[in-house]
Parts: sequence; structure tokens; C-alpha cells
Amino acid sequence: MSAKKRETTPYLPLTSAEFHFLLSLADGDKHAYAIMKDVSRLTEGAVRLSAGTLYGLVRRFVSEGMIVEKMERPAAALDDERRRYYRLSEFGREVAIAEAGRLANLVSLARAKRLLARTRPA
Amino acid sequence: MGEGKKETRQDRMFRSLLRLFPFEFRSDYGRDMEHTFADQRREAEREGTPGILRLWWETIAGIFRTAPREHWEMLRQDAGFAVRMMRKNPGFTLVVVLTLALGIGANTAIFSVINGVMLRPLPYANGPRVVRLRQMAPLAGIQSAGFSPVELNDYRQMSSTFSEIVEYHSMSFTFFGQGDPQRVVTGVVSANFFQVLGVKPVMGRLFLPGEDQRGAEPVLLLTYSYWKNVMGSDPKIIGKTFQMNDRVHTVVGVLPPLPGYPDTNLIYMPISSCPFRSAPRMDTDRDARMLAAFAKLKPGVTYEQAQADAGRVAAQLAAEYPASYPPGQGFTATVAPLARELTEGARPTLLVLLGASGLVLLLTCANVANLTLSRQLRREHELAVRATLGASPGRVFRQLITESTLLAAAGGAFGLLVAGACMTPLVAFAARFTPLTGDIRIDGIVLGFALGVSILTGLLFGSVPALGTRRGLAKTLNQGVGRATEVAGRHRVRNVLVTAQVAISFVLLIGAGLMLRTLVKLQTVDTGYRTENVLSSLVSLNFTKYAESPARLAFFQRTLELISHKPGVISAAFASPFPLDNQANPWVGSLSVEGHPLPKGAPYPHANLHVVSEDYFQTLGIPLVRGRLFNAGDKEDAQEVVIISESLAKRHWPNGDPIGQRVSTNDGKQWNTVVGVVGDVRQYGLNRPPVDTLYAPLLQNLHMGGVLLVHTTSDPRQMAHTIVAAVHEVDPQQPVVRVRTLDDVHDEWLASPRLTATLVGLFASLALIITLAGISGVTALAVSQRTHEIGIRMALGATRGRVLRMVVGEGLVLVTLGLIFGAGSAPIVTRPMADLLFGVKATDPATYVAVALVVLGVAATACFIPSRRAASVDPLRALRSE
Repeated sequence: MSAKKRETTPYLPLTSAEFHFLLSLADGDKHAYAIMKDVSRLTEGAVRLSAGTLYGLVRRFVSEGMIVEKMERPAAALDDERRRYYRLSEFGREVAIAEAGRLANLVSLARAKRLLARTRPA
Repeated sequence: MGEGKKETRQDRMFRSLLRLFPFEFRSDYGRDMEHTFADQRREAEREGTPGILRLWWETIAGIFRTAPREHWEMLRQDAGFAVRMMRKNPGFTLVVVLTLALGIGANTAIFSVINGVMLRPLPYANGPRVVRLRQMAPLAGIQSAGFSPVELNDYRQMSSTFSEIVEYHSMSFTFFGQGDPQRVVTGVVSANFFQVLGVKPVMGRLFLPGEDQRGAEPVLLLTYSYWKNVMGSDPKIIGKTFQMNDRVHTVVGVLPPLPGYPDTNLIYMPISSCPFRSAPRMDTDRDARMLAAFAKLKPGVTYEQAQADAGRVAAQLAAEYPASYPPGQGFTATVAPLARELTEGARPTLLVLLGASGLVLLLTCANVANLTLSRQLRREHELAVRATLGASPGRVFRQLITESTLLAAAGGAFGLLVAGACMTPLVAFAARFTPLTGDIRIDGIVLGFALGVSILTGLLFGSVPALGTRRGLAKTLNQGVGRATEVAGRHRVRNVLVTAQVAISFVLLIGAGLMLRTLVKLQTVDTGYRTENVLSSLVSLNFTKYAESPARLAFFQRTLELISHKPGVISAAFASPFPLDNQANPWVGSLSVEGHPLPKGAPYPHANLHVVSEDYFQTLGIPLVRGRLFNAGDKEDAQEVVIISESLAKRHWPNGDPIGQRVSTNDGKQWNTVVGVVGDVRQYGLNRPPVDTLYAPLLQNLHMGGVLLVHTTSDPRQMAHTIVAAVHEVDPQQPVVRVRTLDDVHDEWLASPRLTATLVGLFASLALIITLAGISGVTALAVSQRTHEIGIRMALGATRGRVLRMVVGEGLVLVTLGLIFGAGSAPIVTRPMADLLFGVKATDPATYVAVALVVLGVAATACFIPSRRAASVDPLRALRSE
């Protein structure tokens, strides 16, 4: 594609809630409630999204093109028709990767300053 | 829905909380959020009360964090979109912003004057507790008799509501020491005058107790402007000495900037410095009324109580000293709050102007609403597309309101520039009515007003079309996107707006018409005296140098002789006061006519007394009606004579001859023989009828100078230098000031009504132009929408003339409706103008008819131009276009 590649920098750094939201969608499409529960599980309850925060993020990520609402629905028997499903967009994935890279850099910096123990080879 | 999925009270509470989100957000995600919350709630219920409490805590915190952000985001998007729309339609944006800038600017400018004059606290700390005390004799026509020192002492002792009473009068002193001798208007006051008002000096001190007692060291307070402009803001001014008349005074302090009230004094002195006030007879003469009085109310006393108290003291004095308070004259005392004293003159004009500018703004709103409606019609397609793409009607409404508010804000910003540009002339204008102009500026309150008016304007002109859209959008969508259809309701709205504009313009034009007629009447009113080729100049004698009458007599005689022999001079005279002299306080006295005893209970006759020299009547061209004018024989030792005005003669001798009769202005203590009757003069204002006047000869009343009037053969301005030089030839130290022609004085008097008429006229013209543009626009739009119908009519045989008549006629129906509403409301709206009018009634039928004809004629032209386009429709093409 000849379209100009979108910059991820203006969106960084992400808040903990934003990053976990995107992480939750990294391994598959989910509806909002599933994302909420996933984030809570991934962080062992440290990050808890309320309904307001969750849908505020949904609205923003949709308008910024980081996630897309899925048009196709699961098979009728499995479909909970109340739910809307979301998928991480290519750009959303790039933002999440950029944030992960930023965090990785921070971690190596912390290691270099001996704030963290080096990982030992297994 | 299963058992566990039943809606609970908590779910309903959550739904109510969702109302905190923008409408659009709720429509997008509301249901999802409700489901999610219900799931969360069920899960939390398993954990019992702590789980529920935690859920609600997190939910509420989340909503209060997210909802404001969503509102802000929505506003940002709307504003961004609005700015793009404004850029896309630069013509529309420019017209709207400029129209609003004029409307908002005019209102802000007028408001800044009202804020500075009427809303701000007075620059005196005790302002609200201080009143002006007045003694008046209404039955003798005396509105302000002044007080004698004896009377003020009585009021101090007998009143119960005033904690302090201070006195004031103004004198002209000759000031030596800064170049040429200057004539300085000086306030002469009680030592505690400024303490009572609550004024603190910017430098030095105020007068001390005892400094107003006889024999005290002469001291001075400089006003801020005199210290700044004449003394060059000298920081070491305190302690410096200056000679005033014959005494050396020490400067003890500099006052802060204060309004020029009660007079525009340059310097203040304690009463001990005034030779007249210090004269021994002042201690005993109850009738030596030369003072103004101010009083401070005791704590908790109301104005009404003070008024009753002053009236009670006046009645008591009148009963005790009937010789000083002739029963027929109705002597009494009144109090007036200082704020009213300072703003009374400006109030009617300012309120009329605020009303006029407010009407212009209302009209601007109607016009911009109309413009927006017309543009909306062209945007219908875009709006409908946005609606199909998911924008809710609420969202579109909000978008339109945001656009109009942004336009109004831009209009407001430019309006502030307009107001800023108007400041200097407006302050000069306001200074004609009130001394309180020092505080007129664009401050926080004015900025707040401009912002408030802008937002209100945006909502007002935006909501009309936006509401129409909200209703109309659904209809448009039903009829299919792409077909922009005029909704009949909106057509009605536009017609109502045009009708309102015509009505408002009509009212404003009536106001302007009445002011214009007033101005013409004032300009053409017969003044009773000549203004062409007469030069006036103020010559106030140094009352210490000219304390004896022979010295004054010599000065007057030599000066007049020298001047009347100059080439180019026809005649010259001294007078006090002269016509339209705005600085002179008329001397009004009771009048007794020999042989005409006053019937019991009849109002006491009164007359104004003027002192004039021999050639006064010739100099001003005041005609002699009967008898003779003054001559050189009317001297101090001759029979005391007066000349009376025609109206006075008619009042007291309706059928007889006044010549040879005798009159008195001091209850018969001294009688003067009437030797002549002269024509009436509008002495105190072109809008005030001539008052009964007595003229006394200067040679029998050698006062302390007055106005020198010189009638010349050509432009008197060229003679100014010669005349001043002649005075200086007699006395090189005599100041000659305020050298003006009587034409200038006359013009100066007319300046206030002229400016008011100009401002109201400006507002009215602006209104008319905006309205015509509105009528023309609405007709043009109606024509373009009815092309098809007009085509059919023409195909069926309607002639061009008939189509033309139909379109113009429909436009004129709106105009006529507007005129009817305007004519109905104009008498009510223009009622406050009554005080400003002269020679014309607020309901003057001629003005109404003339204005209606003007509006009709101009409106017909405005309709005619677009109608010609209608008449030139080609029926075939029009039919094919559908």
C-alpha cells in the first residue's frame, strides 16, 4: 500500500488500562465484558475497568482506528445478541507493540542500573 | 430473558447514571453498558455486600472520570467541524461575524458606559451614606435656593438624622505663580468636607479641623488633574506656596482623581479663605444663601427618614422666621442620594441608547437566524447524509448550536474591537451628562457582558434553525436523501423572523425620527437673541483687587469704551449671565409688584434677575417692545430701574402698561421702576421656554464681572486677540477665558441632542439595512424554490406583471404585518424617550406615517429585485427542471 504509515508515537505512552485493553484483544476478538474480565485476570485484579472507563476506551479506540467492531457475528446458537465484538486493528497492534517495546527498553534500562535482577538463562 | 437476567433496581440506577454521558455516547454504547453492568452486578452479588459496594464505588468513579471527557471530546469534534464549515463558506461566515460584531459591539460599548456611570460604586468611600441637602421654594419656582451659614447651623442643631453637615460653594480666584495669572475655579468647603465624602489624599493631608475658622493660615488642596497637568506631577508640591488673589496659600495635599462634582474645580480651599463667606454679616444674615450642603446620614438612617427630618426642620424654621421664608413660597428642604445626583442627567439618554442597541442586537439575531435557515436549506442534503450515517438528531442539533455559538463568539471578539474603537467618542459623549466618566473602560465586567451576550446571541439565533432541523430532518429522510425539501414550518419561521425585523426596525426608526424632529425643532427654535458675529469671553474680576465699587465702575467703563471704539466692533456689553451660559446659576428671586397684593394662597410670583450693561440689548439684538433701553443716566445715584421681559409684562399687566410701575425682588425693601419691556429670550436651554426675566443696569449693580459680549461686523473670532488685548490694556493681570462665539455656544448646546439623534439614527439605519437584506433574501429564496410553481402559472397564462405583483405582494404582506406590530409596540418602547424630546410628542402621527412610508417604499424595492427574477422564469425550462 502506498498510504502513508501512521505514526504510533503520538499515542504513547499508554495508560495501564489502555495497554491491558489492547493486550487482551491481541490473542483474539472479544466483546467488552470479556475484555473487562480478561484485564482483571491478566493483572490479578490490579487493573479493574469499570463500565464507564471500559466503554470510554472502546469509543476512543474505535474512533482512533485501534480496534474495529466486528460486523460478522458468531453462529446463531453461540451468538449472544446483546454483545458487540471487537478486533485489534493492524494499527492498534502496532501501537501495542510500540508500547511493549517502550516498556522493554525501560526494563533493560532498569536492569542496567541494577534496579532489576538479570534474567538467568533457564 | 432468564431468571438471573431480570432487571433490578441497581440496573435502573445505573441506567439513570448513564444520563451523565453525552446523548450520542449513550445511543452508541448505553445498552451495551447496561448489559455489562448487569453481568458485573450478578458476579458481585456472589461476593455479598462488600462486592456490591466495591462495584458501585468503581462504577461511579469511572463514570465521573469518563463522562466529562466524553462531553469535551464531543465539543472538540463539533467545534472542529464548525470551524471547517466556516472556512468552507467564507462569505456567509464574514457576513454573519460582521453583523454580529456590530450588534454585540454596539451593546458592549453602551454597556461599558452604563457600567462606568451607573453600576460602579461612587469614588467616595461614604458615597451611599452621603446626601445632597437642598433648600427650595417650589411655589416661587426656586428649585435650589442654597443655604445661608446661619441656616446650616440650625440644620446641624435641629436635625436628628445627619451625623455631619458640610458646606460647599465655588469661586473663581486669580492664581499667580505659574506664568500668566490664571483664573482657577475653586471649591470652597468646610474643613471636614472630604472626610465626610470619604476621600483620602494621594499626597499630603486633607484640611484639619479649625482650618476653616477665621484667621486660620491659608491652605490649598490641589485636585489630581491640576497637580498632574499644571504642576507637572511635582512630587515636592506639598509645602509650596502660591498667591491666590491677595493671599499666599500653602499646598497641604493632593486629592485623588474625582469626578468634577459639584463643579469642575481645580483647587479646594477652606471657607476661611473666601472673603465673602468670611464676612461678619454671614454670622447673622439668615437670607445670605450662597452655599450648597452635603450631609452624612447617621448609621441605620434611611433616605426617607432623612427626607422627613429635613422637611421637619424646614417647616420649623419657616414657622419661626416668616420674614426669611415668605409663606406663599413653600420653602422646604429635600435630600437626594449622591449617586442619583451624579447620574440623573445621564440616565434617560443612556437607557434609551441601551434600548436602541439592544433592539439592534435582537434584530441582528433574527437576521442571522434567517441567514442560517436559508443556508441550512442548502445544507439539508449534508445534514440528511450525516443523519443516515448515524448522527442522531440530537447530535445534529448540537452541531448547529456549536456552529452558531462559535460564530457569535467570533462576532463578540470583533465586537470588542468595535466597542474599543467607540470608547473615546462615547466617553466624551457621556461627559455631557455626568461627571462620572473617569471609570468608563472595558474591564472584567464588560468583558463578561460581551461574552454573555455572545453566548446568548449564539443560542438565540442558532436554536431557531436548529430546532427546525430537529423536526425537519426526519421528514427529509422520509422523502429520501438528496431531495432538499423546504419544510413548510420553516418557511413560516422565516416569515415570522422577517416580520419581527420589520417591527424592530420600525420602532428604531420611530425613535430616530422623533430625535431628528426634536433636533430640527431645536435648531429652528426662535432664541430671541442674535448668535451671529457675537464673541463672548468670561471676565471674572479679582474680588480683592476690585473690592470697592468705584474700581469696578472704572474697569467696566474703560473696557467697554476701549472695545467699542475698535474698528470692526459694533457694540459691546457686560452681562451676567448670558444666554445658554451653562456655567451660570440663574439668580431666581421672588417678585412683588407694587399695587398688586398677592391673593391669599396664590403661588408666589418669581423672576430671574440679570445684570447687564447699557448696550446689552443692542449687542444681542433683543428687541425693545415698549419704553426705553438703559442709558448712561441709569447710574448708582439715579432712580433704580429695571427692564422686564415680555412674558413677565404679560403675566402681571395683561391689559395695562408696566412702564412706570414698580417691582421688588426683596419683599418691598427696595423698589425698582420699570422703564422698558424687551423680547423674550431662551436663556437656559433651547428646549426650555423663556422665563420671566428682570434686567438690572450694571451701573446700579456693580458685580464682580461677568461675560463680555462683543458684536462685530465680521467673523468675531478674528477680533478675539484685539478684545483680550483691550482688557489687558485696562488691567494686565485680568484673566480673560472661555473666548467663544455665541454661534459656538449655541452649537455646543445642540451637540448633546445632535449626538443622541446621531447614535439612535445610526442604530436605526443599521437596523433598516439589515432588515432590507433580510426581506430581499427571503424573497429571493422563496422565488428560487417556487420556480416550478411560477413556471406552471406562466404556462397557464399568468403574465410577467402578474407574477411580479404576486411576489412583491407576498413580501409586502410580511412588511405590513411588521409595520402593524411595530406601530403597536412603538408607543410603549419609545415612552422612556419622552424626556429627550422637544416640540414633538412620542406618538407624533406625522413621524409614524413618514416612517411607515419609508419602510414600505424601501421594502418594496427590496422585494422587487428578486421578483424580477421570478418574472423572467422561462415556463418550459421551469417545468422541465422538476
